[in-house]
Amino acid sequence: MDETDARQERKSWSARSIGSRWQHQFFYTLIRLAGRRAAHVLVVFVALYYVLFRPSVRARSRPYLSRRFPGRNGLLRLWDSYRITVEIGQVLVDRAALGILGPGQLTVRHSGREDLLEQVREGRGVILVTAHAGCWQFAIEGLHMLETPVSLLLHREEDDVDLHIFEHRGEDAAFRIIDPAGPLGGALEMLQVLKHGEVLCIMGDRAMGGDRSTVEVAFLGGRVRVPFIPYQLASTTGAPVVVIFPYKSGPGNYSLQVAEVIRVPEDLGRTPEAYRPYAEAFIRALEGFVEERPYQFFNFFDMWNQELIR
Amino acid sequence: MTTVEKLKEILVKDLNLEELTPGDIDENAPLFGEGLGLDSLDAVELVVIVQKHFGIDIQNMDEAKTAFQSIHALASYIEGRLSSG
Repeated sequence: MDETDARQERKSWSARSIGSRWQHQFFYTLIRLAGRRAAHVLVVFVALYYVLFRPSVRARSRPYLSRRFPGRNGLLRLWDSYRITVEIGQVLVDRAALGILGPGQLTVRHSGREDLLEQVREGRGVILVTAHAGCWQFAIEGLHMLETPVSLLLHREEDDVDLHIFEHRGEDAAFRIIDPAGPLGGALEMLQVLKHGEVLCIMGDRAMGGDRSTVEVAFLGGRVRVPFIPYQLASTTGAPVVVIFPYKSGPGNYSLQVAEVIRVPEDLGRTPEAYRPYAEAFIRALEGFVEERPYQFFNFFDMWNQELIR
Repeated sequence: MTTVEKLKEILVKDLNLEELTPGDIDENAPLFGEGLGLDSLDAVELVVIVQKHFGIDIQNMDEAKTAFQSIHALASYIEGRLSSG
C-alpha cells in the first residue's frame, strides 16, 4: 500500500456535497431563470426539510455546535442546526450565482489587501492558511489583485456533484490545484510554488493524514489535530503565514479578513512539536472567528474525535 | 567518506530515523513508501537537508522527484550539481 492509498483508507470524512446531482441541477436552473434571491428563498425551506427529516444532516453539525454552544439542547440546538444549514446553503447559492450569472451579483471586499501585497512583495512566497469558513472560493477568486499566481491545496471527491465557480463558467481555474492525494502529498509542488515567490493556500483546520503530519492543539474546549505542513513549509522557505477568513458580511456581500500574520523561524526540523506554537496561533485566530460568526464555520466533521482522523 | 555514506548518516540523524543505523539503509531502495518509509513531510525536509549540508538549492521540483527516488539517485544528483559548479 503506498502513501496515497493509506491516506484514502484512513480518511473518514468526505468533502462531497449532501445534495444529489439533480438537486444541484435544480438550483442551478433556478438561479439562471429566477436569480440568486429566489434560490436563497428556496434554501430556507430546503434547509428546514433537511434539519427536520434528515438526522444525518443534524449529526454532521452537532460536534461543532455542541462545543460552540455548550449546554444548548432541544429547540435551541435545532435552531442552531437550521441556522448553519441555511448559511451554507446560501453561500453555495452565491457561489453558483457568481459562476452562472457572472461578477456583479456579489461584492467581495478585501480588507487586508495592502497587508497581503506587502507580504507578496517580500518575494519569499506567501502561505495563506484558511479554514472551512465563509466561502473560501470567493477569496481565492479575488486574489488576482495580488498579480501573483495562486495555488491551492485541494482534494476533490471523484463523485462530487457540487461545481466550482470556474466550472460553472466553463473556464480554467484562476488558481492552480495541488492534490494532496497526489505524489508525496503535493509537498514538492507546494515547495516549488513558494520558491518561485508565489501564493499557496492551505486549509489549516483539516488533517489529511495520520498523526505524523498533524499536531494536537486545543480548540473550543477539546483537543483536535491540525496539519503542521503550512508551518513546516514556512520554516523551510521563510515565507510568511497569513491567516485569512473569507466570510459573508451581508446579503450579497463578502469580505476577506486578514486575521494574523505568523512568522515561523527557519530550520525547525521535522518534529510536530516544533510547530505547535504556530498551529496554536492559527487555532486562536479561528476561535476568534467562530466567536464572532458562529454560523459561518462549515467544518461538518467531528474534529474532536481523534480516531476519525487516524 | 562517499556522498552515499554521508547521506545515510545525515538522514538517520536529521530525519530522526531512530530505529535505523546508516549501515541498515539500502542505497538503492526507494526513499518513500515501502523502502525507507519516508513521507511527504520528509520530502520537504530533504530539500532543506540538501541545501544545508551540500549547499545546493533545489529550485526545480521535477529534478527533486527524480533525485528522491533513492539514496543512490540523490547522491548522483548532488555530485552532478557540485561538479557543474
